[in-house]
Amino acid sequence: MLKMSQVSKIYLNGSVALRNVDIEIESGEFVFVVGPSGAGKSTFIKMLFREILPTQGSIEVAGIDILSLEAKEIPYLRRRLGIIFQDYRLLPDRTVYENVAFAMQVIEEPYRKIRRSVMNVLDLVGLRDRATSYPHELSGGEQQRVAIARAIVNNPILVIADEPTGNLDPDTSWEIMKIFQEINDSGTTIIMATHDKDIVDAMDKRVIAIENGSIVRDEKHGGYGYEF
Amino acid sequence: MSFRTKEYFIKETYKSIRRNGFMSFASVSTVVVSLLVLGMFLLIFLNTDNLAKHLEKQVQISVYMEDSATGGELETMREELKKLPGVVEVEAVTKEEALERFKERLGDQDKLLDSLGSDNPFPYSFEVHLDKPEHISEITEKIAQLPKVETARFGQEIVEHLFNLTKTLRIGGVILIFVLFMATLFIISNTIRLTVFARRKEVLIMRYVGATDWFIRWPFLLEGMSLGFMGALVASLVLNNTYVALSHNIHATLAFLPIMPAYPLMYYVDIFLILAGTGIGALGSYISLRHFLRV
Repeated sequence: MLKMSQVSKIYLNGSVALRNVDIEIESGEFVFVVGPSGAGKSTFIKMLFREILPTQGSIEVAGIDILSLEAKEIPYLRRRLGIIFQDYRLLPDRTVYENVAFAMQVIEEPYRKIRRSVMNVLDLVGLRDRATSYPHELSGGEQQRVAIARAIVNNPILVIADEPTGNLDPDTSWEIMKIFQEINDSGTTIIMATHDKDIVDAMDKRVIAIENGSIVRDEKHGGYGYEF
Repeated sequence: MSFRTKEYFIKETYKSIRRNGFMSFASVSTVVVSLLVLGMFLLIFLNTDNLAKHLEKQVQISVYMEDSATGGELETMREELKKLPGVVEVEAVTKEEALERFKERLGDQDKLLDSLGSDNPFPYSFEVHLDKPEHISEITEKIAQLPKVETARFGQEIVEHLFNLTKTLRIGGVILIFVLFMATLFIISNTIRLTVFARRKEVLIMRYVGATDWFIRWPFLLEGMSLGFMGALVASLVLNNTYVALSHNIHATLAFLPIMPAYPLMYYVDIFLILAGTGIGALGSYISLRHFLRV
């Protein structure tokens, strides 16, 4: 699903975000990426959907060679991915239904299929009865659930989540994690950057720790490992 | 592109134009003003050009005689002129007739002539009609050499003046139109820039879920084109009505002025303006998208 070899990223100002990173993630895995702020987690995550390119090395995501990808092919890579952010990134002037349907509209899916798929994922995240609500009428957890619904409505093979519970209280975070677990159970690979120690410890998944741009730890059943 | 997608684009475009109400209005107004000036220049230019070509085709030489020419000499002159190659008709205009014609031209200001008293400053003249305009300048020169001829002239001077005028109009028009074009382009691209800014979050999400560049661009491009089109529509309506009214008036009062009839001329002008307006709109958005929508 993901293959990074000897990947380095040096920004124009000379700061080194990643240094000689080698990672291999199999299809169907659930992987946490942990590490202090500024360690290179964001750079790592953004490379997965080709928001930024590495300075060196090679990356293969979902069977696609990221470096040789032409600009006009990027959308087709992203259609195979589901991306979730800490700040939800919902459109405030659209309802829950429209926010989720938006992801299918812009890739020109037929109307009937949109209707069916959107209602299905809203069921999955438990928001079917909020379909006509606007984001400002929802709690943070509900908004993140809408964002998850939007990310998975096109059946991605890889879900990339960047601090999805960063703005949520512990109880709500657990509800969100349950949804991620369900998505993973259906065979979708999940790569999640997080600061949430309790969740990482309790979920007992593979943990990759990044510090100063290098992988310092990669354990099949790891814990968070940082005390702060 | 599916029907749903087209519907989506049109909806988004409409929403956006409404959301940017003031800037949309400013853009449309700028397009209206620019295209009105462009259209006016076009009409003035076409008419002047038309007039010059019309006069160029005239095949008449005016021959002014010296006052010292006697009746016999004038009669010989008339016969001489008739014998020249290409001449079809020779019409004599006496001094009295010339004065009378001038009085008519003055209309109700004919009192001006009172100061002349019994003097008649107009010369005796012949109007020589040719069958073809080709050799008119050689024939005029030949006539000028004949005895007792003061001057012989054909419409060439006016034609040259008019052609000079069209040249000036063309240069001035091109400069003015260029300036207006840039101004229009600027305001439309600025409006689209605001739209892109207002919708940057939407654009970001579109990119993350895999919308193609063109899917993202279309609504913005359509918005620019709509602004240009609306402006062009208003401009061509105004221009159309003005020209129809104006040409009607000119036909009624200045019948000798060969102004071009409103139709089909205005069809072409209108189509041209609408294409130009829509084109400027598309170009304006495209410039903005290239700068502010790096996908």
